[in-house]
Parts: sequence; C-alpha cells; structure tokens
Amino acid sequence: MEVFNIENLTFKYPTKEKAALTDITLQIDKGEFILLCGQSGCGKTTLIKHLKPSLTPHGQTQGNIFYKSTNIKQVSTREDASEIGYVLQNPDNQIVTDKVWHELAFGLENLGIDKQQIRLRVAEMANFFGIQNWFYNDTASLSGGQKQLLNLASIIVMGVEVLILDEPTSQLDPISAVDFLETLKKINDELGITIILTEHRLEEVFKLVDKVIVMQDSKILFYDTPHNVCKNLIETQHPMANAMPTPARIAAALTHEELPFTIKSGRNLLYKLIGSTNILADNLIEKPIDTNFNILTLKDVFFRYTKDGNDILKGLSINVAQGEIYAILGGNGTGKSTLLNVIAKNLRPYRGKIKSSTKSIALLPQDPQVMFIKDTVSEELANNEISKLLNISHLLNFHPFDLSGGEQQKVALAKILLSNPDILLLDEPTKGLDCYFKAELAQILASLNKTIILVSHDIEFCAKYASRCGLYFDGQIISEGPPREFFSNNYFYTTSASRMCRHIISNAVTVKEVIETCQNQLK
Amino acid sequence: MIRCYFSDYHPIVLFIYFISVISFAIFLMHPVCLLISISAAISYLALLRIKKYMLAIFLIISIINPLFNHAGVTILFYLPTGNPFTLESLLYGIATSFMIITVIAWFCCYNKVVTSDKLLYLFGKLLPQLSLIISMVLRLIPLYKIRFNKIMHANPSDNAFKTAALVVSIMVTWSMETAIDTADSMKARGYGLPNRTTFSNYKLTTRDIVVSIGLVVMSGYLICSNKLAVTYIPIFNYTQSLPDFIIYTILCYTPIILSIMEELKWKYLISKI
Amino acid sequence: MPKPIKIILLLMPLTTLLLVDSNNYYFISLLLIIYAMLPFFIIYEKRKVQLRELVMIAVMIAIAVAGRSAFFMLPQIKPMVAIVIISGICLGAQSGFLIGTLSAFISNFIFGQGPWTIWQMFATGSIGFLAGILYYNNILMKTKTSICIFGGITTFFIYGGIVNLNSLMTNNIATIIAYYVYSIPFDLLHASSTIVFLYLIAIPMIEKIERIKTKYG
Repeated sequence: MEVFNIENLTFKYPTKEKAALTDITLQIDKGEFILLCGQSGCGKTTLIKHLKPSLTPHGQTQGNIFYKSTNIKQVSTREDASEIGYVLQNPDNQIVTDKVWHELAFGLENLGIDKQQIRLRVAEMANFFGIQNWFYNDTASLSGGQKQLLNLASIIVMGVEVLILDEPTSQLDPISAVDFLETLKKINDELGITIILTEHRLEEVFKLVDKVIVMQDSKILFYDTPHNVCKNLIETQHPMANAMPTPARIAAALTHEELPFTIKSGRNLLYKLIGSTNILADNLIEKPIDTNFNILTLKDVFFRYTKDGNDILKGLSINVAQGEIYAILGGNGTGKSTLLNVIAKNLRPYRGKIKSSTKSIALLPQDPQVMFIKDTVSEELANNEISKLLNISHLLNFHPFDLSGGEQQKVALAKILLSNPDILLLDEPTKGLDCYFKAELAQILASLNKTIILVSHDIEFCAKYASRCGLYFDGQIISEGPPREFFSNNYFYTTSASRMCRHIISNAVTVKEVIETCQNQLK
Repeated sequence: MIRCYFSDYHPIVLFIYFISVISFAIFLMHPVCLLISISAAISYLALLRIKKYMLAIFLIISIINPLFNHAGVTILFYLPTGNPFTLESLLYGIATSFMIITVIAWFCCYNKVVTSDKLLYLFGKLLPQLSLIISMVLRLIPLYKIRFNKIMHANPSDNAFKTAALVVSIMVTWSMETAIDTADSMKARGYGLPNRTTFSNYKLTTRDIVVSIGLVVMSGYLICSNKLAVTYIPIFNYTQSLPDFIIYTILCYTPIILSIMEELKWKYLISKI
Repeated sequence: MPKPIKIILLLMPLTTLLLVDSNNYYFISLLLIIYAMLPFFIIYEKRKVQLRELVMIAVMIAIAVAGRSAFFMLPQIKPMVAIVIISGICLGAQSGFLIGTLSAFISNFIFGQGPWTIWQMFATGSIGFLAGILYYNNILMKTKTSICIFGGITTFFIYGGIVNLNSLMTNNIATIIAYYVYSIPFDLLHASSTIVFLYLIAIPMIEKIERIKTKYG
C-alpha cells in the first residue's frame, strides 16, 4: 500500500523563473526506506517539503499529492504533526527547549496529550534511543550527533508513520553520521516507519536503503533499487558516479557481476579477481615534498584556554612548505579548529614557537555565516576578478543568507581571498557539500597557487587533493606524509579504497589507483 | 556535613518558602527577627556550601546610613558638619544594613536552589506561553555565546565598540535566519494546535503538601498576629511576643530542620541494616 | 478585560493602603511594580501570538542576554538596552516590553537574581515599550539622531532612575539621594554606551529585521 502518491507535480517559486519541480510522478510504499539524491539545488528539498503540508512553500503548484489516498491539502494540522515527521539539516537550529526531557515532550505537549501519557511515551523513547543517561541534561551540552539523535527521537515519540529527513547528517562528523544512519535503519526495520531521506553521503547510505530516487534539474532521473541506480549512474558516466560506494565503483570497472556496496563484499571480489598476493604497485611512487622552503613552522606549541584548564595543544610541531596543501585530519572536538586559530594568531600559545615567513594569513571559519556583514554578495566582495575565479558572478545580487551552503562557502572563500593572503587556513571546508561542490572546491584550491592548511574529517577529499596529510591526536600531529604513504600506513583511519585492498594492494589509496593496479594485474 | 535535602522538594514548596522568608526579611525589622533571619540565611548558605563574604557591604552601609540620617532624640555626638549623630539613627542604620544583607543572603540561597527549570515549571502552570519563550531563550543563550565567540574571532579589530557593533549586527542576521528552522521545527511538531498541555517531571507528594501547608500556616499566623512591630525613629520602640519569635524561627529554619531530620532518618536506616 | 487583571487592579490600592502604615516603602514599591508588570504578561498570555513573532522574541532576548555576558570582559560595552530599543521599534510596544523584562530577568539567571531584578525588569521593559509606542506614533523616527537621543535619555533617566530605586531599601531619604548622586557617572557611562551602540547598529539592524519580517511574512 502506498503512503504517498504524487501525480504530475509541477512547482514554481514566486520569485524564480524556472520551475523547481517539473512533472514529478512518484509512488512511495508503506515501510520503505527511500533515498532521494541529486545535486544541490535540483529540487530535493522542495519535493520533500511538499510531503509535509505545514512546511510546503508558497508558489504555483500543479498536480496532486495523495497521502494515504486523501489529497494532501485535506490533511489536518493534527494529522500533519502526529503522522508525518520532518527532521531538518542543522541539529542546533531545530532544538526548541533547554532540557532534553522537555524537547522530547514538546511535540506531545502540542498535541495536547495528558501528563501521564507523555511520561510513558517519553520514557519509552529514552529507552529506545539510549537517551536515559542524558535525559536531564541541557540540550546545549550535547554533541552534534546527540543533538540530531534527540531531534529524531522527539519526532518519533509523536508516533509518526512517515519520517522525512533533509540531509540530517551534513553537519555531523563521519562517525556520528554513520551512527545516525544506522539508527534510521533500525527505526525502519524495527518500527516499520516509512523513511524518505535526502543525503550527500551516498557511500554509507546506499547499502541501507530499499530504493533510490535520483533527481536532476527539477525532474526525476531514476527511481529504482540501489543496485540498478548505481549501475545506471556509473554506466552513463553521470557526475554522481563519483559519489557511489567505493567497492561498487571499483567492481564496475573490473567486472560485470553484481555490484558490492560493502567493504567486505568488495574485498571478496578482489580476492576472486587477483588473489590474495600483497602487491606493491610500483607505478604509485610519490614525488617527495621539498621541505627546505618552509613558509610556516610551529615548534613545541602548547595552548590552553584558561590558566587552570587542560592543554589543548600539547607540544605540537609542524612544518608547512611553500605552495602545498597540508591537510590535518583527526577526531571531533579535539582542538583542530583551535590549532588553526593559533596559526592565524587569533589565539596565543603560552609556550613554543611559531615562525612564518609571511604575515598575511587568512582563516576561513567553519561557519561561513560569521563573515557576512552586507546585504548583497557584490557589496561583500566588490571585486569581480575573484568572483569570476570562484565562479560566483551569478550570485552577486543575492543576499548572502539566501544562498545554499556550498555557495555561501564559496562567497566566504572569495571574501577571504580579497586580502590576498599567502597562507590560507580552511576549517572543514567540505562540511555539508555534495560531490559537485567538493570537486569544484578542489579545483579552485588548486588554481589559487597558495599555501593551504586545512583541517577536515573528509578522508576521501584529503586523499585525493592534499599534498601532505597529518594525523592530529591528543594535541599533537602524530604522523604525517604524502597521502599515499600516509593512508597506506594507517589501518583504520584511511580511505575506503585503502581499506578494501589492504593486504591485497598495499599502496593504493584512491579508487582510480586501485582500478589501474588491478587492470595492470589482470592483463 | 549534612546535604541539603530541602532542594529535592517540589518547586512549589521552595517557592512558598523563599517568598515568605524574603518578604518577612524585608518587612520584619524587629531586631530579634533580623537576627533570626540572618542566622537562618547564613546557616542555609553553609548548608548549600556557598561561600560569599558579605561583611564588606554590611560595613559600608552600616557606616554610611547613620551618617546621612540625622533624626532621632538620643544624641551621641555631633558630626563635623554640625549635624547630630543619634543613637536611634545608628541603630536604624545597623538594622537596615542587616536587612539588606539578609535579603542578599536569601537570594544567594534562592539562586542555588530554585534553578531555572524549577522556576519554569512554576511559570509554566500560570503563564505557559511565556515559560516556553523563557525555555527557548535558555536553550539559545549557550548557542549564541559560542556564535558570539566565533564571530569575534573571524572579525578582529582594534576598536572594542566597532567590534561589538559588528558582532551584534552579524549575530542578528545569522540568528534570525537560523531561527526560521526553529520555527519550522516547531510547526512540524504541531505547535499552535489548540489545547496544548504542559509536561513536567515534578510530582507533588504528601510530604510536599504537608510542608507547604505548614509554611502557609506559619506565614499566615505571622501576618495576622502582627505583634512584632518596631519603630526606630524618632524613638526606638518595639513590641514582642515569644510564640511569634518561635514560629518565625521555625519558618526560617525549615530547610535546615528538614535536612537534619532526613539525615537522622538515614542514620537510623543504616543502623538497622 | 481578563479577570486576573481586574483582580490585580483591585489588589493594587488595597495592599498599598494596608502596608502604608508600616512605612516600608521598599516593600510597597516592589509590590506595586510587580502589580504593574503582571497585566502585561497576562495580556500576552491571552493573545494568540504568531509562531514567527514568538521565535523572533526569543531570538532577540537571547541576543540581548548572550551579548551582556559575551562582552562581560569589556565593561564599557552594554548592548542590552540598545537591543531592547531596537526590538521595541521593530516588533512593537508589547513585544518590546516583553523583550525588555525577560532580558533582565533571564540575564540574572547568569548574574544572580536579587531584589534588583524587579527594578531592572521594569526599567528595560518600560524602555522597550516606550520605543515601540513612540515609533508607532511617529514621535521616534527611524533616524540615527532620533534613536540615539531616545536611547541616551531613556537609559539615563528611566533605566538609571528606576534601577537606583533599589536604594529605597535603606529607607533613608538622604542615603537615597547620595546613592543617586553617586550613580550619575555610571548612568552617564551606560547612557553613552547605549548611544554609541545605537549610532553604530540601530539603522542597519532595523533594516535587517525588516528584511527577515518580509522574507518570512
């Protein structure tokens, strides 16, 4: 039985010329776990907002949507609230109250449920999600992953039948993101709740979902099982093929068999193809970085925020060469951003030396919003050269806050570049970006010819584009090297491709390298 | 050391208690009452492990107050300005200072015991919409503090005022934009439907009701009997009544008495094992 | 008129008459101020507030409070009254009053509640209310000068004037006068801080809030 039945839906925003949705026809069955993906701005969010009447945007609509065979326009506000759940992107912004227990109860209070009943339902949810231990905490004290889990729980608690999520993991670190996605799977499996999810982390989601919808330019391109969608995208050389799970991409280049989505099945395939010999691919030798011309040197730097606080940086040393892209990888909330602020001289270390041959260092913060002062992008930039270089000329007349996350990131980067810094510091530059924006960002960074230091969780991005990577742990850089050397030395903290071919090909870390090495072997 | 068991009582009990002791502290200027109240407040501060040194304020006010007050009949000496310095004004000054310190001490206890969620619970009963706003604000403050810091780091400047103005300005735009998500999240969860209820984790038990009634009866008695009057100026004059003093003592010392009782009960229970 | 407000209007003269004999003017004035504020809260409670307005109120209060503690290290910077004035202008007199009173109330969760809370609530609330009403009646104009003059005068006379009433506690007219005189430099500093702040941010902030209001109309 279908939950949603969309018939020839076309939608146009009042201020835009182009339609945001064109002739969408779609059935979603009860209990299915559906992934909706596509480039930023393709209309994903507009489509899912049409499934939640209270959030549906204003504009010109044609066509019909039926929710459980009633027209969605006839769905009452109460049904809308209690049956269709909606989780937004940013974990911080959707929390309403100051205490965890109150947040859980908020929706039930709105529905007018009595105190005894709320107590029971809240207790049930706290147990299901393992929230008991932080039940009385302040919502502000939670980590990003916990916040998003709370947002999810406070919607499930209302007894929803359908759950719609708009890029719920884009602001989370990889570990919390995977936890969150697995919780969704659990909800789908154990509670039978229909889930419609938009997501950029396709690598992790493909193996979890029942069906995948791919949207392109306001239309539906594919609607099929993950396997068929993946196969189609790779065969048509669609740009999104680059975001498909690594094992599938490798397998598609080598065989015509069923595409594997997990590392485990990918490894089995490689064993089958090239055996268990440990190959050291000799075509993959890296050019060493010339560290004689260091533009920046940190030696034994110690930092703490307060006199009695704990050390955040504990004798950190690092050398950065002129013109390289140095990526600092590491866990969440351990002080990587602090390190960038120390380099940018926003914070002063209490011991250790920082030497740099230039004074012009600029930091792009994690939240580009902190940079926006003016009412239009052109007022922010006042420089056409840079807007051309970053491909944002078409955005000049917009208000910075009306842009998408990726566009905001580019405008902020352009603003930083106005001062023409020698060293560019980037804090999580790929956070929340889809594969299109990531590729564009990498291209821009390469074309700048500047020394770049970035901190990131994004292993795949660093492996592909950095000249050197450093592993940050416990206030120090504990290992560093060019990406291939760096990642093939790591057992767990490494790319999917490297994990997939560990003990099979010992020095390949990107999909391309694995494919090429295998093809050489197979010849 | 004894733990403060009174803090575990229902917010209504705490609220009745603090309203009465603070009101009486301002109102009952009888020297004995002042002593009772201040000793109770200080004991309670000790019970709550609050160390605040308030002697300084006391000294300043008790010296300044009589200097400006020239009324009274018993002249002790003349100030260099030619104004008389009277016994009554000295006493009155000291009494007022005691009162002020007592009130501040009571508020110190209040701030520790009546936390924001207890206050919100009480408000939520009477003014649900306002209490939701307060709860939302309390949720936003820590988030905004972090944002203030982030914006300050991203926009360094030498002029404190210019930085502050810039920071507040960015803050308003950023927060207003993100607040739209908050509004959506509230709408998505049915905010605005009629007959909203208010949930809380507090349960009114028998002991809460008993203590509340006790507090109300004692306060009511003190108000109605009205036997503890005092005038300082122009002539020091007072009335007194032993039962009223005793009741006032019990009222002020309620948290300490209850904590000791609880402590003894625990000791007894442990000895039984 | 809602019933609770009628009761309050009845209680007001009653308590005053009962207590006036005691000469405890501090207590009486505290009670009167609480009585004066309650109707506002009750009217607000009875009104069906739009969700958007509710969220905007919460955001403005949170900025006022977080601002007060974010600039705690720079004592010359006190943005709270300025933010309350801007709120009153943008969101109206009633919301201005609410934002003013609640900002003072909630910021004392951080700085500590005391009898002064009541005075601060009433003072900031009145300023927010006045800003809204005068702006609505075109007495307060959307110009830098007009807003700065308003900010300076209200901060000095209304905020300073009301919050210093806390000295009523000493029950001694000479001490109270001395207290007021002693506070003049502090109140002047506060007023000038408000003026500088309003000068720098009032107009752009009003425009920003207007933009948001139309964007999510």
